[in-house]
Amino acid sequence: MENVVTHEDWKVCFSELAPGLVLFARQFVRTSADAEDIVQDAFVRFWRKEHSIENRGLLYATVRSVALDLLRRDTRRARREANAALEVEQTTAPQFDFDDGSQRELAAAIDRLPVEQREVLVMKIWNELTFAEIGQALAISQNTAASRYRYALAALKKNFVVHE
Amino acid sequence: MNDFSELEAELKKLRPAPASPELTARIERGLAEVSGRTATAGVLPRRRNIRVNWLGLGLGLAAAAALLLLARLDVDQPAGKRQSVVATTPLPFAQPVPVNDAFVPAGLTQVVYDTRDEGLHFPEGSNEPVRRVRSRKRETLKWNNPQTGTSLRVSYPSEEVTLIPVDGQ
Repeated sequence: MENVVTHEDWKVCFSELAPGLVLFARQFVRTSADAEDIVQDAFVRFWRKEHSIENRGLLYATVRSVALDLLRRDTRRARREANAALEVEQTTAPQFDFDDGSQRELAAAIDRLPVEQREVLVMKIWNELTFAEIGQALAISQNTAASRYRYALAALKKNFVVHE
Repeated sequence: MNDFSELEAELKKLRPAPASPELTARIERGLAEVSGRTATAGVLPRRRNIRVNWLGLGLGLAAAAALLLLARLDVDQPAGKRQSVVATTPLPFAQPVPVNDAFVPAGLTQVVYDTRDEGLHFPEGSNEPVRRVRSRKRETLKWNNPQTGTSLRVSYPSEEVTLIPVDGQ
């Protein structure tokens, strides 16, 4: 009978989740520094409350809540972010490491998606959350999460031709 | 294979930009600042704030009052009447519970939330000091049923005290 025993501390948990969490936070702000501030605040809050690290829906909900609080708190900053969103390609640091121009185009297409589709896409593709977990994070049903995911893919497929 | 599988594969090839190396250190500092204790490999959580949910408390009190009222009414009934009620009530037939032994342990996860050095102590009957370190953890036990694909998970907090002998140099 197999009995796997693992000892983890927060650094191990965080190192696995960090890139996906920062990418998710980037959906709300336009710089990596801001995204990392959000992730720092959210992770400290989450961990202090001793939630299970396996409750990923709640972890992403915490990141989203901190991000939205930040935007609401500082209206001037929110305005700046909104202005930045209009000039995505000129002003934002890249969210991905690119291998070629095709990937750059795909990333730009992702940036043009509506935020409610983009956040579902990010949680599904790069964080591998289930639709149930995404639903928990966004306070929506898992069917709605799945629909938004399909709409996002359809929009990307329309605007982006996969290169062989 | 769906219509989007090729696109999904392309998306997965995109790698999120890595988090800066300082982020982990910043979180460690943030956790340490909150509790005011020594930063360790574990996390130093703040005690939970107790918030009173007045609606829940009110409903709970109302339910308790209703139960007390019902219990009093029951006590007030004549003994004979109560006996007849008991006599006419069919006894539930106890179904044998099938023993499902198909669950197999899949793992134990221990997450350390807080490690606190409580300083030097002299255990009873010993002249040698020891350092007492208290760790607060959450342990999660998981079982899987390979036949049905179901899983069972139990999570509970635990506390561990470790006594470390101190070298007298």
